[in-house]
Amino acid sequence: MTGRTARGVLVALVSVLWLVPTWLVVVNAFTPAKEYTGSPRWWFSSPGLFANIRTAFESADVGRGLLNTLIYAVIGGAVAVTIAALASFAVTVMPVRRPGLWFWFIFIGTVLPLQTFLSPLFSGYATTDLYDTQYGMLLIYVALTIPFAFFVNRNFMLTVPREISEAAQLDGVNWLSMFLRIHLPLARNALLAAFIFQFTWIWNDLLFGITLSLSPNVRPVTATLADLNGNYATVGPPVVLAGALIASVPTVVLFFVFQRFFVNSLRLTA
Amino acid sequence: MDVLTTADEAASRTGPYRPEPLVPDPRSARFRAAAWVGAFLAPAVALVLLLLVVPFLITAWRSLFDDNGITARFVGLSNYTALFTDPDFGRSLLNTVLWVVGTLVLPVLLGLLLAVLTHSMRWGAVARTAVVIPYALSGSATALLWTYLLRSDGAVNQTLGAVGLGGWQQEWLLHWPLNTLVMIVATTWQATGASLILFLIGLQTIPTDTIEAARIDGAQGLQLFLRVIVPQLRPMTVVVVGMSIVNSLKTFDIVWLLTQGGPGTASETLALTMYRQTFTLNRYGYGAAVSVVLTVVVIAASWLYLRQQVRQRSGDAV
Repeated sequence: MTGRTARGVLVALVSVLWLVPTWLVVVNAFTPAKEYTGSPRWWFSSPGLFANIRTAFESADVGRGLLNTLIYAVIGGAVAVTIAALASFAVTVMPVRRPGLWFWFIFIGTVLPLQTFLSPLFSGYATTDLYDTQYGMLLIYVALTIPFAFFVNRNFMLTVPREISEAAQLDGVNWLSMFLRIHLPLARNALLAAFIFQFTWIWNDLLFGITLSLSPNVRPVTATLADLNGNYATVGPPVVLAGALIASVPTVVLFFVFQRFFVNSLRLTA
Repeated sequence: MDVLTTADEAASRTGPYRPEPLVPDPRSARFRAAAWVGAFLAPAVALVLLLLVVPFLITAWRSLFDDNGITARFVGLSNYTALFTDPDFGRSLLNTVLWVVGTLVLPVLLGLLLAVLTHSMRWGAVARTAVVIPYALSGSATALLWTYLLRSDGAVNQTLGAVGLGGWQQEWLLHWPLNTLVMIVATTWQATGASLILFLIGLQTIPTDTIEAARIDGAQGLQLFLRVIVPQLRPMTVVVVGMSIVNSLKTFDIVWLLTQGGPGTASETLALTMYRQTFTLNRYGYGAAVSVVLTVVVIAASWLYLRQQVRQRSGDAV
């Protein structure tokens, strides 16, 4: 019984510790830009949030940025996870020669430092007319998120009992339908987790957004917010925080929905 | 050959049940098998090759030149020799090591503990949400927030003063190694949610029977955690620890946004040194050399780690 109490206290303490900074983000996003003094506030002074959000949408095209980011994160994440699932099926289930080599070839994408790509990609994009296009942004986001999605899926598929694919092969099922009917449904949770991580990664990327795009109808919202942050003196931190808060809503919602789904599937297996 | 440990393992797994060729001609069967494999692997391999590996190779080639963005002169390895005699580079390397150790100790361990503590708890979902929200917040919000907290007149010092601990007030971001340590704490706040989720997924795969059996055998609390849960979580631990090592070696955003690597270059990590050399000082060749060294370190670390894990895995299987 004391063990359970100690556990409860510990978890409560950690939650409070984690919530305090989150609280500060919210409260300060509500602070009217004019009343901002430079030191943080701990309590709402007046409901300035909507004015701040309006300023954010007016002084930079945050709305268009959000739409762009949504396109990149949904389509990019989904395409990357699909491609990664195919590749992880190939290296774990199919009779590939030297699957370890292929594993490292794809995995290396998570290892290489991002800044390494910037300058060559910029020149490459400029010469192929991909610079400042939505296709170009999607392409780089897919390529960047494949390796980690692949890593997660491959580790999951290693745990699928080999008897399953053995039995399917005896039944003469071809690879594609084995993948679609057996491994894809089994890996559903791992795939979903990978998608959520890659969605969040693309959603929060700043580096490639500012490097490979320029015009407002291509730029992701993080780049738009960075521009807003650059205008610090004119709009003030509460406006930037309000914009950042709005930009964070979709990922927070996604995690929340995912958690519910996740707890449910936990119950189903128990 | 050690690189192929995974290869050998997987080959022995898949080897015995290659598909029986329907057509007696083995050559066309082999061709068809190769076409299948190609179709499954090609998209991932092509995208990674064209958009990640090739740009990296261009950068690696550039590290052999004295390149200011306008003119380039071949200098062989002298960028590298200059690098290893640069005291700033030593500090940068040390900071990077601090990041690797710090993020292994804090976000990974906390994520594991919280996952185990909260997954069967009544208010567990609330605690999990509290920890996961920061992971979903955008980087610019996080950076602004921690600037608020850590500035000399920021919330942390304000609070310390208010509760009578004024003596503990610090210039958090202005002295090394304190600035690196507080930035590791800031990262912990943001990144623990990710490892928490991954460990929760891992917990899902542990059969309830295993836990029940251990309970019946009298395992409880810490013993249950160390002897049953931790070993069962190993496949997911490999992912979390592997990613933590790789990501911490590449630490950039939070340092760039909070201190720009300063004061001076005191809190720079390798990724920042590379960025500053390349984009601020226009020393493209030197910056490229830093990125090659960083890449070598990251690959070596993840290879050493994963290789060891694969061995342990096959050891367990016996």
